[in-house]
Amino acid sequence: MSNVEKILELFRSEVKIVNVGLEYFYKELKKQGVQAVHVMWQPRPKLEKDLEEILDKIL
Amino acid sequence: MPTVRNVVKKNFFRDSVQLLHLSEEAKKLPGVIDAAVVMGTELNKELLEKQGLLTRKGREAGENDMIIAVKAEDSADIEGIISKIEEMLTAPTTVETYYYSIESAIEHLPGANLALVSVPGQYAKEVVKPFLERGIHVHLFSDHVPLEDEIELKRFAAERGLLVMGPEAGTSIINGVAVAFANVVNRGPIGIVAAAGTGLQEVSVLISRAGSGITHGIGVGGRDVKSAVGGIMTLLSMGAFEADPDTQVITIVSKPPSPDVQDKIINFIANEGKKKYVTCFIGGKDYEIPPVAKGRLVQTRTLHAAALEAVRMVSEDLYKEAVKKVFLPPEEVVKIAEAEASKLSEGQKYLRGLFTGGTLTYESLVIFQELLGDVWSNTPLNKDYQLPDPWKSKENSVVDLGEEEFTAGRAHPMIDPTIRVQRIVEEAKDPEVAVLMLDMVIGYGSHPDPAGAHLDAIRKAKEIAKEGGRHLVVLAHVLGTDEDPQNAAEQERKLREAGVIVLPTNALMALTAAMIVTGRTDEALVKSFYEKFLVGRR
Repeated sequence: MSNVEKILELFRSEVKIVNVGLEYFYKELKKQGVQAVHVMWQPRPKLEKDLEEILDKIL
Repeated sequence: MPTVRNVVKKNFFRDSVQLLHLSEEAKKLPGVIDAAVVMGTELNKELLEKQGLLTRKGREAGENDMIIAVKAEDSADIEGIISKIEEMLTAPTTVETYYYSIESAIEHLPGANLALVSVPGQYAKEVVKPFLERGIHVHLFSDHVPLEDEIELKRFAAERGLLVMGPEAGTSIINGVAVAFANVVNRGPIGIVAAAGTGLQEVSVLISRAGSGITHGIGVGGRDVKSAVGGIMTLLSMGAFEADPDTQVITIVSKPPSPDVQDKIINFIANEGKKKYVTCFIGGKDYEIPPVAKGRLVQTRTLHAAALEAVRMVSEDLYKEAVKKVFLPPEEVVKIAEAEASKLSEGQKYLRGLFTGGTLTYESLVIFQELLGDVWSNTPLNKDYQLPDPWKSKENSVVDLGEEEFTAGRAHPMIDPTIRVQRIVEEAKDPEVAVLMLDMVIGYGSHPDPAGAHLDAIRKAKEIAKEGGRHLVVLAHVLGTDEDPQNAAEQERKLREAGVIVLPTNALMALTAAMIVTGRTDEALVKSFYEKFLVGRR
């Protein structure tokens, strides 16, 4: 059988959650009184797009 | 004359739920007739067009651009309204504890043991990896995660004994905590492994309503049980439940796994498993129960049956009680179907299922295949019955409104009822429609009052039918418990007051709908359905 000790540890522990993405899920966790933190994640801007826009303006 | 104005903000990103709330706030501003703040996906532009909110400027927006669309009274200061919305857009977030990097977030939450990740799929791998490297389990909600990324992440996690729940895992319940879309259910001796999000919700809720409860519910994502991924997380979770002293019964829920993965699951149960098992491979073929697993393995065809059989393995008394009190006996179903069928006019012969839950859609399709033959859908069992236009039903149709064509750049219909509310009214205009079916999924993650949000549309639909001299049957199943923030009993009461017939399980809603449209309301049919679909095989 696989090593399941870390999952059993999760089962036994208070769940503490790092939320990345939809802020809405963070709020839903807080409503339940869950210990959680939220990461303000944004996609990295695409360089090509930025360059395109600069070029648009110059040309 | 009202004025419509669009402002496009180039490469400006907010997530769909933030935008939904912002749109709601914008509508409340003085002078505003209608407003929407959306990302410029094709779907959103189409919907703006239908709402009369799209201008030429908005039409030119790309999917990485945001559109602020406002329809205001002629006398209103539209510039002022738009700057107010822009202010709301850039207002500081309400989240009190937030971080800009995963590392600092982890640092500030000592003992963090789970990450909930909902970034766009192409970024999932780079976000998930750092958590796994630090020994933190992951629930990956994102869709569109490349298959090779899923395999890599799951192998990496499994080597370290860590869970990657998902991608596309809508639900998990760990230690009573509802992660993403999940319900407040009783704690108890049943562990659930599910490759089907609303499947996990329905089974955990029905177990709870039947008086038992769950230890944990692990959502593994639909692709986990396909050959390419090979059931990595399903098998790991089964192993964990085998070792967990609180779990007595293990329930496995999914659409049909690939045959090789199904074999692995059954072999695990037979050769490594010591506990009791219920499998629910919805729409799958019956399998041979290995002799060594006889007596501790039951196979079922519906979520209803899976929940009941799991409860039966815990306590025969609880099971008997639940069959009587929670789940309708056959004669009750006959009574409902007879009464409703008798009110239909000639020409009313079709059902229209408007679902928000993918597994609930699928389960209905499987049941209809048996009772009605093929039905049209945007996710049909038989490819020949693919709806040519998912926005328009034909004959018997079942639509999953959580699919891509309805959700690109928008919040899920469990959060945002806009699309379904419009569709309910549209369906009622079709004189051939007899029955509407609605799933009302409550719990954490869902709309704060889904029943309330649908009432106007349901009443209007019934009125439209009435004006045409018809009776429109509306069936609903509230997926949730009385402990959920929305309170299932309260949701059911609201629906009943609007003339909706509420069924206790999704399978019973499908059975009832099929009986009404076919007019086959004999008890023999119901009894054979119960035997085949609502009871397990040992």
